[in-house]
Amino acid sequence: MSKLGRVIEAVEKYNQHVLDEVKRARTEKRFGKQLLDRWDEIKRNIKVGRAPTGLELPRLALPEIDEPGEIARYLLGDGLPGEFPFLNGAYKEMYLEPLQETGSYAKNGHGKNGHGKNGETAVAKLQETEEPTRLFSGMGLPDDTNKRFHYLGAHQRSKRLSTAFDGPTLYGIDSDADGVFGKIGEGGVAVDTVEDMERLYAGFDMGAPSFSASMTISGPAPIIMAMYIAAAKRRFGDSVVPKLRGTIQADIFKEVQAQNETIFPVEASLRFLGDMMEWTTRNMPRWYPVSISGYHIGEAGSTPVQQAAYTLSNGFAYAEMMANCGMSADEFGPRLSFFLDCGLDVEYIALTRVSRRIWAIGMRDAFGAGARAQMFKVHTQTSGRSLIAAEFRNNLTRTAAELMLAYMNGTNSCHSNSADEPFTTPSEEWIRLSAHGQAILLDESGIFKHTMNMLSGSPGMKAVERAVEAAILEEFREIERLGGVLAAVENRYQRSQIQNAAHRYEQQIYDGTRPIIALNKYRDGAEEMPEVELVRTSRAKQQLQVDRLKKFKKKNAAKAGKALDKLAAVAETNENCFPALLEAAEVCSLGQISGRLQEVVGRFRPMV
Amino acid sequence: MAAPIRILTAVPICDGHDSAINTINLEFIRHGIEVVYLGYHRYAEDIVRAAIQEDVRAIGISSYNGGHVEFFAEVVRQLKKRGANDIKVFGGGGGTITHDDQRVMQKRGVDKIFFAGTSLTDMTQWVRDRYGKVPKRSGGKTPEMRLARKLTEIEDSYANGKRPKKKKIENRKSKIENTKVIGFTGPGGAGKTTLIDELILRLLHREPKARIAILSHDPSVVGEGALLGDRATMINSQDDRVFMRSMATRGQAGGLSPATEDCLRLLAQSGFDYVIIETVGTGQEAMPFQNKLVDQTVLVMNPDYGARLQLQKIVMLDLADIVVVNKSDLDRAKTAMSEIERRLEGSGREQKLISTVAKRHRDRGVDELCDLLGREPEKKKK
Ligand code: B12
Repeated sequence: MSKLGRVIEAVEKYNQHVLDEVKRARTEKRFGKQLLDRWDEIKRNIKVGRAPTGLELPRLALPEIDEPGEIARYLLGDGLPGEFPFLNGAYKEMYLEPLQETGSYAKNGHGKNGHGKNGETAVAKLQETEEPTRLFSGMGLPDDTNKRFHYLGAHQRSKRLSTAFDGPTLYGIDSDADGVFGKIGEGGVAVDTVEDMERLYAGFDMGAPSFSASMTISGPAPIIMAMYIAAAKRRFGDSVVPKLRGTIQADIFKEVQAQNETIFPVEASLRFLGDMMEWTTRNMPRWYPVSISGYHIGEAGSTPVQQAAYTLSNGFAYAEMMANCGMSADEFGPRLSFFLDCGLDVEYIALTRVSRRIWAIGMRDAFGAGARAQMFKVHTQTSGRSLIAAEFRNNLTRTAAELMLAYMNGTNSCHSNSADEPFTTPSEEWIRLSAHGQAILLDESGIFKHTMNMLSGSPGMKAVERAVEAAILEEFREIERLGGVLAAVENRYQRSQIQNAAHRYEQQIYDGTRPIIALNKYRDGAEEMPEVELVRTSRAKQQLQVDRLKKFKKKNAAKAGKALDKLAAVAETNENCFPALLEAAEVCSLGQISGRLQEVVGRFRPMV
Repeated sequence: MAAPIRILTAVPICDGHDSAINTINLEFIRHGIEVVYLGYHRYAEDIVRAAIQEDVRAIGISSYNGGHVEFFAEVVRQLKKRGANDIKVFGGGGGTITHDDQRVMQKRGVDKIFFAGTSLTDMTQWVRDRYGKVPKRSGGKTPEMRLARKLTEIEDSYANGKRPKKKKIENRKSKIENTKVIGFTGPGGAGKTTLIDELILRLLHREPKARIAILSHDPSVVGEGALLGDRATMINSQDDRVFMRSMATRGQAGGLSPATEDCLRLLAQSGFDYVIIETVGTGQEAMPFQNKLVDQTVLVMNPDYGARLQLQKIVMLDLADIVVVNKSDLDRAKTAMSEIERRLEGSGREQKLISTVAKRHRDRGVDELCDLLGREPEKKKK
């Protein structure tokens, strides 16, 4: 049985355990009493906060139950926020605003002064936490993206940058390669060298605790990671390395299943990934070296259940891989993070909640992980595919609804798409609205900032949770029958499932079973292709990138040859290549490195 | 029965957005169109070469990562340069291709762009209307094109229920002396396509002037379309020295198409150094290659063939010149090798047995197989 088989067993067993405990709570007096006492204590410790209107509210809402069996079901089956199995949240307080002392509230009453005073403490405290908003951006040359980063970060306390790369970079190809002109800087930023990397994050203090960078790239991820480290060292010296914070996507399984940016054969890709994970886990304790992503699976057209099932099973496969490298679950577990899609289908009421629960149980019971390694920390992006061209301003409403679902599910950070998503890299007008959307939901509205569990646990949500969990386990069983994740991947299982689901989705749109406003419903008068401001990279700029790269190559020609030879030699052995990669990143371009590695390990053979 | 429409589809270089094209492929196939799918992240040059060799009516491109104005125009330009202006170019890219873009693209010779929100039915109908009528076409400006068009004529006459006119195939001799014809067969999932692609890589390297033809097959039912997807995975075979043709079986059992034999004969007479033919993965009860054209047959097996008894039923084991156990990194491979070895002892012929892991880069087993496929040394081109 693979580890995934163990996970299935663990979840089944845990669910049975909850049922048994519910029964025991009802029949064993002493146990029942213990639970009632604990419940009372939990309730007693809930602090009371106050809305700006003066309304007092508990900081944590609990179901109104006073019967031991139900208490057992809640505490064990769902868990309090921040407690196993983490259904209600990875952390205790998530988006709550800092507590305003009720004492001062009592003293000052509803008076204007009191409010002002408390408002100030609130602001002072807020500065310690990070905003969950994290907007994905990349465009043109590194200088252009750098400008956008500064624009987006201008009003944020913490600088949480999320980097989108252009096509050539995603495929590990240099901007001066034949046939790619036209694609440079489109849909993301062009990065060829360590110098580009320096330009990209110029003006940011890369080692600061308030700075973190996320890089959405998988195929050539280890090379890009090496360039990032090299750029940071150039600017801040070697001592910056352990301070670097951020995430690199580096998820090979989902590339093969959905995003199609694998550049080395799967086994070699996993080896380079493993080398990088090992190195960063040991040397960069604050870095997340893999972001296990369902977003691309969902966007490629999978059902929500397929998205969660494939993502979780991929995650367990990485965990198994690292365990096989001799690392303990407590060592690598906390370095794994997740990335999910959030669309409008009903499953999204609870998809992330259920995923968090399955991950926690699987990590604890199948991998023996401790508390920190059980936590499913997740970034969510609203669905790009749900956004359409016809009457595209409606996309604001779609995104708002999705944001609501994402935060209801307790996402740790979130990207909201811009309304011009179907057409272009967002222009400033629309990206501004999308950032504001999040602030309106979290800061302006009272939905999430006063009370944890504000929207958790409705009967409908519970029904979705049960249905979704059962369906995810069924998918796990199918993958297990096929011989585990890697075997299923090689059999095209996930790909073919996703493709069929995507086809069905499109058919449903055109046969009307899936209403899409202004497309197949209320279509009259819809402007089919509105005029929007397009963000494209001019030929002159693309040429500038090519020229810069050529200059870099010329300057470093001699050193590059040596570094590549050394890298190739290490790649032929079983040793960790990451140190050689770090050296090569100083003097070689992305394409030079990926090309040389492909000579050693081969190229990826695409799957249809 | 009219011959099915053949279309080539692909996604441009540095672009992996294949969800739309996968859906469109499925839709086309359901409506009787044969789709040669080249996959995502494809150079304009590879798309054009494939379209000419496969002699498709049109190329459908799905582009999302920008640069579409240049990319579509480049495909049109290269088609023209190779004398294939009668292959049309159409496509889409959701909202990323605007009306303004489309106007520029049409000026540069693109037939049609489908915008976001077009229904699958409308697109399929348009393709059938537009490319369904067989136009009057030239025989082809280059030898490659002429060959491709002759192959189409052969296929189409079979589809129309006629045998092709004799003079279409120059059968003075059954084949040219110097051409070596190798047949690959084996059950589905054994990895034939990957193995062939790895051999191509080696052959191109070993014989820097050699030209190779590949005839590959995918299953289809009469009157329905087919997804011809081998090209998408054969990364080493997209080369000017390789002529590849994908055929649908169009209802014929046994892993080949009614037109295969004539097409193979034509290829064998066209001056290639090697002609490789690959069957659909079928049960191996019979020998798919019944003609004298094939010099060497290779049976590719998966170690997971099931019970030993089944080996007895595999007639191909008696007839193949070389038996390859691919995926020999699987647990069962050792057992499989020894069971097959025993089985071969009974055939009374000299057969070779080789184990390979084709998906592994620089696999020794594939090298060994490649050595067995050489032509006589004195005939090798310098
Ligand atoms: C799904 C999606 C993804 C998925 C792709 C999964 C997959 N395997 O396909 C994921 C999440 C992986 C992804 C990743 C990226 N994406 Co994306 N993605 C989209 C999205 C949301 C939908 C595209 C889609 O498939 N729609 C469904 C299809 C069926 O419908 P449609 O697009 O409307 O197309 C219709 C017609 O045009 C027609 N059609 C389309 N093609 C063809 C071809 C033929 C032959 C015919 C006849 C018809 C036809 O058929 C459809 C039905 O009517 C769009 C935004 C959007 N909402 O459109 C962005 C979008 C295309 N992506 C974009 C970008 C930038 C990227 C990334 C580069 C981001 C990054 N830097 O990492 C990566 C690159 C991925 C890669 N490997 O290349 C940009 C492109 C921007 C630009 N060109 O300026 C977009 C526009 C989003 C944005 N605004 O930023 N993406």
